[in-house]
Amino acid sequence: MESFVVNLLNGLSWGMLLFLISVGLTTVFGVLGVLNFAHGSLFMLGAYLSMWVMHLVPSFWAGLVLGPVLVAVIGMVIEVFFLRPVYDRDVSYQLLLTFAILLVLDDAVRLIWGPGYHVVEAPQILAGVFPLFNHSYPVYRLFLVCIGPVIGGGLWFFFKFTRWGKLIRAAAMDREMAEGIGIRVPLLFTAVFGLGTWLAALGGALAAPHQSIGPSMGERVIIESFIVVVIGGLGSFPGAFIGAIVLGFLEAFGTVFAGRIQMALPYILLAVVLLIRPRGLFGEK
Amino acid sequence: MKRSQLFSRTILAVLLCLVMCMPAIAAEKPIKLGFVYIMSGPFSTYGQFAKQGAQLAIDEINASGGILGRKVEGYFEDSTGKPDVAARALKKLVYQVGVDCLIGLDSSGVAKTVVPLIPQMKTPLIITHAATPDVTGNICNDYVFRISLNLAQNVKAAAKVASESKANLWTTIGPDYAFGHQSWEYFQKYLKELKPGVKFMPKDKVAFSPIKTTDFSSYITKIMQSKPEGVFISLWGGNLIDFVRQADQMGFFKGDFDVLMSLGAATEVLYALKDKMPVGIWVGTRYWFLSNNSPVNVKFRTAYHKRFGQYPSYNAHGAYGAVYTYKAAVEKAKSVDKKAVIKALEGLSIELPVGKITIRAVDHQAVTDACWGKTAADPAYPIRILKPMRIFPGKEITRPVEQTGCKRK
Repeated sequence: MESFVVNLLNGLSWGMLLFLISVGLTTVFGVLGVLNFAHGSLFMLGAYLSMWVMHLVPSFWAGLVLGPVLVAVIGMVIEVFFLRPVYDRDVSYQLLLTFAILLVLDDAVRLIWGPGYHVVEAPQILAGVFPLFNHSYPVYRLFLVCIGPVIGGGLWFFFKFTRWGKLIRAAAMDREMAEGIGIRVPLLFTAVFGLGTWLAALGGALAAPHQSIGPSMGERVIIESFIVVVIGGLGSFPGAFIGAIVLGFLEAFGTVFAGRIQMALPYILLAVVLLIRPRGLFGEK
Repeated sequence: MKRSQLFSRTILAVLLCLVMCMPAIAAEKPIKLGFVYIMSGPFSTYGQFAKQGAQLAIDEINASGGILGRKVEGYFEDSTGKPDVAARALKKLVYQVGVDCLIGLDSSGVAKTVVPLIPQMKTPLIITHAATPDVTGNICNDYVFRISLNLAQNVKAAAKVASESKANLWTTIGPDYAFGHQSWEYFQKYLKELKPGVKFMPKDKVAFSPIKTTDFSSYITKIMQSKPEGVFISLWGGNLIDFVRQADQMGFFKGDFDVLMSLGAATEVLYALKDKMPVGIWVGTRYWFLSNNSPVNVKFRTAYHKRFGQYPSYNAHGAYGAVYTYKAAVEKAKSVDKKAVIKALEGLSIELPVGKITIRAVDHQAVTDACWGKTAADPAYPIRILKPMRIFPGKEITRPVEQTGCKRK
């Protein structure tokens, strides 16, 4: 029982972080049709810029709020100046372009902050532990478990009920029609890319207190987010949520029960999903 | 007539001068050293530190007259931690740049692949970080040397520390590749020799995490629930930083067991963690900047700290030491001829910051001291230091040549 609860929490906290990153990736793909390779680097940039703000102010919360906003602004600049010219071209151009952005961001981070590891501390209120059976469990992880559904619910509400959300969904469904009825689609796209970037960066800012910050931390996370998105269905919201939780649980319980095979589990699941249901669990069409 | 005579004389004088000056020009040609480290990706810290160490040594040597009167130049290539990229980098350095000696290698995986390729390049390679026993063991060859502490030496020291603890049931967490598995294998072997009654957790209870892991909670939970008496940790770099922080939060270090970290005293880890590194944990490293106060070591750590603002890591020391080792070999051989340098490296003894090392003639492994200690806080340093500290003499921890599997001679 004790082992079950601890692993459940381990899986959920990792899964929620993965969800934040994947949901940004899937939103950008769903609306803009762009598979953003640089998403992991934006996650990393989120961690770095939040750390920078945290040291500057110094407050964890200021970093958590301002860092992702700064990255979102960078994301919007990237969309306007780099992505926009290649929308009409072949998909391979977008892949190459986002990959180039990944390389540039990774090296920029190394130039500015150096190749060393950095550590960010959780705020006082979240830094403690609470007793769980005979052990203690960090409060910060519980915070991660809670924040996932909050952000997820907020996004769901935004897309379902607000005017902007409806406009975005309309533009995603049929771009030409949306333009025809007077929606300023380019502006909308910029906003959506900014939102996707903000989610990645928020993931980075939230990850900062419990893992070390270093160059290429994005590369490690982007592969898992791709798996989440493919399993859940490209462009699907609930898909990203379920996919992330499944991957989190595979990691947590797999380590305990599957031993070394645990490493392969996400890929096996990915292969099975692609074979049986290529569009993903919640994918449409 | 006169005019043409003057002309021909001038030509003659110039020619003569050219011939006369030839040796002088040749002597002015710099000695080229090629360095291959991980300069990009999650482990680029290691390449950065190595480069700093190498640069410091090269500048010191050039400022004091070079090697045999010749200046030294360093050429740095990125291995990216991948065997094929590293092999290309080494070939580029040998065939395009024309280096006199190769220095480097961080990853054991890379080392295992490229070491067999070195003989065809006919250039000595001094390994300064990659720790797999194999490169000075069953795949040793004429051209490859290692001046850094290898896995077997470091783990032998770990086993000595462990044998003095009350713990009788040991488990491990390490990275899930050759390094982690070999560390555990050697730890069991050596500890069993020192303390026959000791027990080890079965395969399904020990933990090996993929190198890309950032969330160690499930591994931490697994280890804590298996109720060990001692935990041997071979995680390193970013993995170790993440592990320590998360383990600390989950009460791991308050657990009822001893903890040993084979690379816990690496300065890059200590600088990242600062006071988040728990005190009273046994940690090892390949070089510790406070391990001795020999003039060589004091000079190195002071100069390094002054120039780069941090105390040197073991990788900085490895590259620094390799440059001086090469210098000593050239001076012993009185030549930069590669064959002569190789001959000179065999059996060479040199005083490095880590202490006196001797490169064995057969397997080319340096007999070098290991440093372990308990983490402690000291207001004079921004990072945890080792107190008490234990130095294990190279002779006691280096396995005899017969056991290495090196069949070179």
